This record gives sequence, C-alpha cells and structure tokens, in this order.
Amino acid sequence: MKQSRAYPGTCADKGTRAKVRTPPRQLTRAAQTRRTALWFVLPAVLFFLLLSAYPLLRVLWQSVRYANLVNPSISGFAGLDNFRTVLDDDDFLPALGNTALWTALSVTGEYALGLISALALNANVRGRAFFRAAIIVPWVIPIVVAGLTWTWMLTPEYGVLNLWLVQAGLIHAPIAWLGQTGTALLAVTLVNIWRSFPFYTISLLAALQAIPADLHEAAVIDGAGSWMRFRVITLPHLRVVSMTLIVIHIVWTAVNFDFIWVMTQGGPLNSSETLPIMIYRYALQNFDVGAGCALATMMMGFMASVFFMQYYGMRRIASSQAGTA
Amino acid sequence: MKLSGLALGVGLLLGGTGLAQAADPVTLHFWVAWDPALPDAKIAQDGIARFEKLHPDIKIDVQDMSFGAMHDKLITAIAGGQPPDVSWGLSEWLGEMDRMGALADLTDAASTWPDRSAIYPSVLAGLTINGRLKALPHYLGIRGLLYHADMLAKAGITTPPTTWQELVDDAPKIHAATGKYAFGVANDSVRAPQELFTLMAQNDVTLAEPRTGGRFRNNWDTDTAQLQRMTEVLTLYQTMLAKGVIAPNATSWGWEEEDNNFALGQYAMVMDGSWMHLHEAQYPDSMRDVQIAPPPKLAHAATYFEINPIYVFKASPHPKEAFEFASYLDSKEYQSLARPTDSPREDVRGTDKWATGFAKLTPIGKTFPPIALGQVSRDMQEAIGRVLLRHQDPATVAAWLGRAINKDLRKSGELAAS
Repeated sequence: MKQSRAYPGTCADKGTRAKVRTPPRQLTRAAQTRRTALWFVLPAVLFFLLLSAYPLLRVLWQSVRYANLVNPSISGFAGLDNFRTVLDDDDFLPALGNTALWTALSVTGEYALGLISALALNANVRGRAFFRAAIIVPWVIPIVVAGLTWTWMLTPEYGVLNLWLVQAGLIHAPIAWLGQTGTALLAVTLVNIWRSFPFYTISLLAALQAIPADLHEAAVIDGAGSWMRFRVITLPHLRVVSMTLIVIHIVWTAVNFDFIWVMTQGGPLNSSETLPIMIYRYALQNFDVGAGCALATMMMGFMASVFFMQYYGMRRIASSQAGTA
Repeated sequence: MKLSGLALGVGLLLGGTGLAQAADPVTLHFWVAWDPALPDAKIAQDGIARFEKLHPDIKIDVQDMSFGAMHDKLITAIAGGQPPDVSWGLSEWLGEMDRMGALADLTDAASTWPDRSAIYPSVLAGLTINGRLKALPHYLGIRGLLYHADMLAKAGITTPPTTWQELVDDAPKIHAATGKYAFGVANDSVRAPQELFTLMAQNDVTLAEPRTGGRFRNNWDTDTAQLQRMTEVLTLYQTMLAKGVIAPNATSWGWEEEDNNFALGQYAMVMDGSWMHLHEAQYPDSMRDVQIAPPPKLAHAATYFEINPIYVFKASPHPKEAFEFASYLDSKEYQSLARPTDSPREDVRGTDKWATGFAKLTPIGKTFPPIALGQVSRDMQEAIGRVLLRHQDPATVAAWLGRAINKDLRKSGELAAS
C-alpha cells in the first residue's frame, strides 16, 4: 500500500494528523513495573516533600530572614545577621560544650553498658529469657514518664534516691542533683544512659548470636583465653553493628530535646542547656525565629557531616573486608 | 418544572442550614491554668456552668494548662492566627501581647459596662496602655509576708520582721528552735522575677524607665547610685544563702516547692499571695498558724502588685460574646464565689484574715512597666541564679542585668535611644 507523504507544517500534514490515530504505544513489562513502582513510591515522595523537604527548606530560608514574633516591625532579608546573633550569644559556646559532653558521655555509657549486658545475656545462664525480656523495660517507657519519675526520685525534699544515699552514709544531706550547676547535666546523662542502653543490648546481642560457635571452639583448642577470644573474634564481628549504633546514637543524642527539657529545661542557669534546647529558647521563648532557624541550620550541617563521615567510613570498612576476603 | 423543583430544594437546604446556624450556640475557647486539685478550680467550673445557663447561646470550651505552657502556647497561637477567644494569663505578658497586636481593644465595650464603676480605678489603669484598655482584671495578686506564728513563737519572736535585716537576724533563732529554715524563695520559675521586683521597688531601683514614643530604657549604666542599690538587692540574696536564712536546696525551687513547703510547715516565712488560703483545706494542721504581715522593708515599704488579667483576643470571631464572658468573670456573683479574698472589685471584700491582710497592702503595691517582659523575666531569674548558684559578684551581675534588659528592649523594638 502506498502512503502519501505529508511534510511537517503543511496542510496535508495537519489533515493526516487529524485523520490517522496512532495506536497506543505498548509498554514493555519492565516499563510497566517501573510505572507501577512509581505509583507506590509517590506517597512516600509526597510525604518526604511535605514533611521533610519543605520544613528543611523553610528553616534554611528563615535563617536568613528577620523573624521576631514579638517585634513584627522588623522583617526582611537578614543576610548572616541571625548567625552572628547566635555566635555572639554568651550561651552558645557553653551550650556547644554541653552538647558535646552530653553526647559523648551518653553514647560511651550506653555502648559500654549495652555491650556488658549483651555479653552477659549471650552466656548460658539461668533465667536468660526473663532477663532478655526485662532489660528492654527502660527503653519502652515513654521519655516524659521516665523523665518525670527520675525527677521525683532525685528531688532533695522527698526523692527516694537521696533518702537511700543518706541512709547508706554516702552523702550527709540530700542533694539537689538537678538543681546544681555542677550536677544537673551529669544527672540527666545518667538517666539517659539508663533509658537508652537496652537498644544497644538488643542490637549487640543479635550480632553476638550470629558469630559462628566453631570459631570460639577452634580458638579454645588453640589455647586462646577469654580476653583473646573477645578481642580477636567477638569485637571484629561487632564492628559494623557497633559503628552503626554509635553513629545513629550520636545523631539521636545530640539532637535530643525531650529528656533534658522534661528534667531540667536546660537549667539551672543554662548548665544543662544543649543546642536543641537553645533552638527552642530562641524560637519559642524569645520568639526570635530567625536566630532559632540559624542555629538549627548550623546543627543540621554538623549532623549531615557526621552522617556522611559514617557512610563513607562504612564503605571503607566494607571494601577493606572485601579486599581481605 | 424540574429546574424549579431543584431550586426549591437547594433553597430549602440553604435556608435550613441558615436556620440551623442561627440556632447553633457560639463556642468560646477559654484557656485557664487552674490546679484541678484546688477548690478554686471547682468554683470556677461551677461559675462557667452558671454563665452557660444564663447564656444558652454561648458555650465555653475550657482548656487547662500550666502558666508556663500557656505563655509559649499563647504566643505561638497568636503568631499562627489561632489564639483562644479568652484566656487567663499573667500581667507580665501584657506588654508583649500588646506589641504583637493580639489584644482586643476593650475601651469602647467597657465604657458601657455596668460593672466598670465597681472595679478599682487603679486596677483598670494598670491594664491600660496608651489610653486603651487591653484586658479585664481577674484577681489582685498582691504579695505579703506569710509566716507560721507558732514557729516564730517557738523561737521567742513575737512580731514578724519589719526589715530584711531583722529577718536575717531572726533566722538562726528559728533554726535553733525548730530545726527549720526561716525563709523561702522561688528561684526557678516566673515567681522569681516577681520576688526580685519587690526588692527592687523597695530599694528604688527601676527596671526600665519610660521615654517618649512609648519606649523604655534601663539606666543603671549611667545612674551609678541606682546600680549600687541593685547591687544591694542581689547581695541580700547571697546573704540569705550564706547565713542559712534559706535552705541550700531552695536555690532550685520553683513556685510549687515554695508554696507546698510553706504550706507543709517546712520553713517559717515567705513572700506570697492570698491564693495560699487554698492550701488550708489540703493541709489544715500546718496552715492553721499562718498569719499575714507587710513584706520586710529595704529602703522603704513596697510590694509586687500583680493585676492578674483576663485577656480577650482581637482575632476572636465572637468579640461581643468574648467580652460578655470576660466581664462575667468580673461580675459580683462570680467574684464573690471565686475571688472573695483578692477581687479587683471594691464591693467584694472578704472579712477573713486572707482578705483583710492583703487588702491593707494595696497602697504599697507596685506593678511591672508595660514592656515585653518574656526575656527580661528570664534575665532577672538568671541574675538571681548567678549570685546564688555561681556565687558571682552582685555588682557584676547587676551591671550585666542592666545591659541584658536593654538588649531585650532592643530586640522587642522598645529601646529608647537615650
């Protein structure tokens, strides 16, 4: 059959387009799967855009704008003024130091306690199933409930911990653990360690159980002691899960707001104020939203750096392990 | 035919909706900060029920929270354009909320309000900014010296101290006789700046002086005499801690600890308000000997006069009903039941010690200047913390506080050039 040729843009071309309908293009199976997958992904993308991307971009935008709720007369582009406000604040460096101390002590304590308890629960002891279930209790208690309960226990007037410490002769008189500048942050840190270590226990226990038993048996036959087996067999097998746990908890702890807020609100005298508490103070107590967003932006950058360092660190470990194999 | 039937149906539907809307009661959102365990909460709830009965077209939706949470929640709600219609609040927030343009101007509504003449003129003046009435009064939180007479008697003290020096001198006698501390302070809550303000007023120290154009400035950097008097005030805090007048742990007390420990008889004296009578029902034994006296003096007698407000918000879609409800809370009926001891009405005067003891203090009452006090209050609290917890030099802290106040005024756009 001979078809007339229609040149683009000519009348003949337009007529042909009007009359001849091209059949719908058949999608390949792979393309259909891709399209279906896109529909499934769409809600997640929308949620991400709405709940993560938009607020983040909004924070970045507000960090370079004047936005003070109690002084609506000042508005507009602020450049780096909000960042200068934060850096000039006398409380910034102490809060940065508190954040570092709170994070380092918390993560170290949680890891140490989590590892010890995981090793204990991995041993073949009586009542192991009960202890494995019971150890998770602190982690499932809501933070507000745990925080308030510990606050009452630490109160000097009627707190049971002070009573026990006095009765045991460890202190002469009740101490306001949360009311003294020297003890407030440490007290909250201890409570945070108590609350968070079960997560490490569960994760490390799972990794310990994945270590082949014959490795330890062979090492015993070769005369390796328990410390040697722990150092040479156990620890290397825990390396990946440990690194993941530590990095996740560095981020979680550094940005933690609720525990400190419930127990001390950053006090007394800002002695337990960390950067997230400071962000809250800027935005929701001083109502300087611009400065709050500037500090949040700085913190976001720092946290993203930690994440990328962990990501590339893990890749290096993975590639070095592949090379060794 | 079909078309006209459809139109009729739509018309009926819309008309019906209109009728239904007209019959629907107006709901006013009312934020409060009462303690459900105390009797005044029950009295207030009964009062609201009576108002709803009297006004079947108005329903009150009550939301209860702490004063601390209320402030932050109010500010964010105002910024988000969703404040309640009416709210409890503290007098320290008046200037802040006025600057945000959040408060309804009640001047015109109040001009025809029959109960206006029953309210103390000075109270209404305290809620007026630039000639416009910006809130109605709720109660008068004037502060007096509350003391456990039995504890003082055990120490051989027959009359309460009239000066701070006397109080400091009495402290060892009280401790020796009862094993209890002489005085209580609240250094970790909104109460702390109120107590500090009383001492500042007694020593002629002004927080922020008014200038032209509704602006303010703290003068301590140029007025060295005033800075010296502020230093004396902060030194008094250090003296009370050093000499064991207050408990060492009192440095971290909030108002709850201050009130409850006094009500339980854990210490002898406190500067507090007439709401303490509410603890009589809870702790009848330890509250039985409580008496009221004027606060001890520094240079002269003065006390903090809190004109606690009821805020009506400009964004309310029902301004008429909101004023109706707010003014009901100032009615003789409601005030007689809910606020017999600290009413802002001249015709509601209790006869018990709580009412008469505090009423006598009205002439020496002083109020905060109408500035945005949010951050200023926190700085005053920090100043107390610096001298008590960090043991910093009071003169250095006083100078720091003066600078901090001016910095806060600059941020809120209220700082005068000089």
